Amino acid sequence: MTAAPAEIREDVRTLAVDDVTLRFGGITALSEVSFAVRPGTVHALIGPNGAGKSSCFNVISGLYRPTSGRVRLGDTDLTGTSPHRLAALGVGRSFQNIALSPHSTVRDNVLLGRHALTRGGFFSGGLRLPRTVRTERRHVARVEEICAFLGVDDRLDVPVGALPYGVAKRVDIARALAVEPTLLLLDEPAAGLNATETAEMGVTIRDLRDALGISVLLVEHDMGLVMGIADRVSVLDFGRLIADGSPAEVQADPEVIRAYLGTGGEEPE
Amino acid sequence: MSEVTVTPPETEAPPTPAPRRPRNWLKIAGVTLFLVLLVLFPVFTGTDVAYLKAGQYVLIGVVGAVGLTMLVGQAGQLSLATPFFLLVGAVSYAVLAGDSGDSGDLVGLGLPPVVAAVGAVVICGLVGLAFAPVSGRLRGIYLGVASLSLVFLGLYLGQSLDMLSGGTSTGRPPPTFAIFDFRFANTEPAPTILGVAVQKQQRLWYLFLVLAIGAYLLARGAVRSRIGRAWRAVRDNEAAATAMGVHVTRVKAGAFTISSAYAGLAGVMTALWLDLVKPDENEFVGTYSITVAIGYLAMVIIGGLGSIPGAVAGAVLVNGLPQLLTLGATEFGWFADARFGGPSPVLISAFVYGVAVVLVVMFEPGGLAAIGRRLAHVRAARPTRGGDRG
Amino acid sequence: MNTFLQLVLNGLGKGAVYALLALGFVVIFKATEVVNFAHGSLVLIGGYMVYATKDALGWPAAAALGIVSAALAALLIERLLIAHARNADVNSLALLTIGVDVIITEEIVRRLRADIPFIGDPYDAQPLQAAGLTVFRTQLVALIVGIVLITAFFLAFRFSSWGVAMRAQAENREAAALMGIRSSRVTATAWLLAGALAGVAVLFMATQDFSGAGLGRGTHAIALIAFPAAILGGLDSTVGAVVGGLIVGLTEALSAQYVSFEFSKSAVFLVMLLILVIRPSGLFGTRELSRV
Repeated sequence: MTAAPAEIREDVRTLAVDDVTLRFGGITALSEVSFAVRPGTVHALIGPNGAGKSSCFNVISGLYRPTSGRVRLGDTDLTGTSPHRLAALGVGRSFQNIALSPHSTVRDNVLLGRHALTRGGFFSGGLRLPRTVRTERRHVARVEEICAFLGVDDRLDVPVGALPYGVAKRVDIARALAVEPTLLLLDEPAAGLNATETAEMGVTIRDLRDALGISVLLVEHDMGLVMGIADRVSVLDFGRLIADGSPAEVQADPEVIRAYLGTGGEEPE
Repeated sequence: MSEVTVTPPETEAPPTPAPRRPRNWLKIAGVTLFLVLLVLFPVFTGTDVAYLKAGQYVLIGVVGAVGLTMLVGQAGQLSLATPFFLLVGAVSYAVLAGDSGDSGDLVGLGLPPVVAAVGAVVICGLVGLAFAPVSGRLRGIYLGVASLSLVFLGLYLGQSLDMLSGGTSTGRPPPTFAIFDFRFANTEPAPTILGVAVQKQQRLWYLFLVLAIGAYLLARGAVRSRIGRAWRAVRDNEAAATAMGVHVTRVKAGAFTISSAYAGLAGVMTALWLDLVKPDENEFVGTYSITVAIGYLAMVIIGGLGSIPGAVAGAVLVNGLPQLLTLGATEFGWFADARFGGPSPVLISAFVYGVAVVLVVMFEPGGLAAIGRRLAHVRAARPTRGGDRG
Repeated sequence: MNTFLQLVLNGLGKGAVYALLALGFVVIFKATEVVNFAHGSLVLIGGYMVYATKDALGWPAAAALGIVSAALAALLIERLLIAHARNADVNSLALLTIGVDVIITEEIVRRLRADIPFIGDPYDAQPLQAAGLTVFRTQLVALIVGIVLITAFFLAFRFSSWGVAMRAQAENREAAALMGIRSSRVTATAWLLAGALAGVAVLFMATQDFSGAGLGRGTHAIALIAFPAAILGGLDSTVGAVVGGLIVGLTEALSAQYVSFEFSKSAVFLVMLLILVIRPSGLFGTRELSRV
């Protein structure tokens, strides 16, 4: 995964969130939200607390089914797809509070990302057939490459539970990348990181987009990070999309300013 | 539950894979020696088959516990249904291989014993699969209690379907196991190893040994492979597992199925070991009772949840101890006052494994496996390949 | 019709006993999130103390001693073991209680030797006949005692400071601690209470009316039926425990009559499976949200 110049990859497709409404009982979490993540862009989804960012993220990743509206990746409708099929469709995601197996090693955790790219059940694994072992070796090599890209390849044999938070966060992203996504969903990649780590994370996100030419959609609280790396920013407030544009445009948008100041000014958390 | 929760400083040097070779040789030598001892076990015991029977019972436990630790420890799903699948395995073998009995009131298909044994394992797997609506949807403890229903159901079915099970009063004899023309029975003349005749009990010992080793290796491989990673992912975080492409419901139901098939094999072995298939009269004492369910769970906990070698160690303790104590009772007259409220082999072993379970949870969640690892690596722990106590 | 009424009355009586046991499970679960597999052995401890002392002390004092013993045993399990295994997760703690259960059960069974005593002296085996109905006196007393205790429990749960603290802790442990609620005291009380309820329940379980079997492994197995009661109601719902207990009691009584006695226990578990397949968290249980 050397940083080759970004090429336009034909398999990277537009993610279109199209008129999505999500209701829980009487509460409307998302209301007619539409935006598009263009191929090869870093797209940030921001908004004050409770604006519906997480709900939107969970709709895209298939955990919630929208009340109405569609989510499409290229020509594929993701709305009716079971969430476990998204990995195979090229959607990788990381988690806000690191959802790794603490007792398993870094390598083992990242290898899980290869699940949809590999086959084999109890017997092929249990019998350690030469073919299985060969395939496994190939995937291990790729996983180690990805870990090297994220700078965690010196901890491959360490159980994730023994890692500092910042490192575990990168392992989580490595696992999402192991899916070989064309669209990478990052749920608050800088949450819980200190300033240095946040800056490093920003660089990493740009780098991996440049190297792989994939699209990245991130939900993030850290405005510095968002404005520094995003090509495009969508802003949610009370479940509505109130702005969608370049970082500069969004920052100048009076409605965005009002939304942030109106809910208590400073970034929560 | 990990033994490594301390956060090492960032500056710590990457773990060195350095002195691997000598340790591996030591390990290979140790394993070889261990296997040779197991193969020669019938020679040591000679004509006294009581020790062989005790050993066979441990091997049954190994098969069942290895199957259970994959479900409980790796996939994070509790099951108390082991005795049910022991029963289904034992009865299936007797039905598939057996005849209709003297009075013709039993169902028996008269299949070759090997086919019947494989069939019994497959049947248990399928029954386990049929439990998928429950096993795939429930989590952890809920599944544990739900699986308890199978033990009660097994008790009822075993009692009421006596054309299959032989009924609680007499049971039915399982057909002698045979591989083609080689029968696992006493024959004249019998082959010998180092002067010891290889008769029925010796043959069963070797059969069980092969089955246990096969079950062990298969499980070990599976735990290190794709399916093992999927199990652990489901155990640790279902949402994350799903995002990585794991079909959570299917993986849970699959783990239950595999564990059921393992228990089914242990059931076939139990039938051959007892030389009898007979359902229990109640749910709390007997070959297929709740006590047995708890015993298997204890093996898995004591060994260290999810650890395959640990499950073996647990089986040795939980199944081996009462057998050894019973042998001691017959040979040295221990427990003479058991009938008058004194300790009995069963009581002492139950105390030992009950206490062991408590101690393991409180002080060493990794169980015997972790203790063993620590002894093997007195230096800083070298993490195992394939991860997660595989 | 009379048979049916009779069955319903007897079933409700049994159900009240299961409800007491299930309530104990639920209280412990709410306080600590631990599923207490040692509940059956608490039942045995209570029953054994009654058996061992009733000739010397008389039944009422022995019964009181039994209840206190079961309660203290539960408290000891919590204080000595659960409270000291703080780094173990709740599933491991549930497994720990299995170990405790094995030890206590084996010891009580050893002490009982060949005896399987009945311990419901004042009411056992004296069926009541009225209006063409035959009702087991044990079940009737159990029903009355159950109603009284369960009502008292709900009043306490609703209005006492312990009840408030307990509910707060079940809702949010950290927040409760910040509000000055002493978690250890709430937890200890929960175990004490659950033990006491088990001690009451056994007075009806080891009777000829209830099971036809005296105190022994069988009693322990009957206590297991409180599991389905707690689970089908929803492990974190006190109302669920009571409803679950009654469903289990009725299912057992009706299926024993209309199918077969042997089938009755399986029937209880089948009902539980059915409910779990439809509602994986039980009838009144909080549905677990998948949160990421």
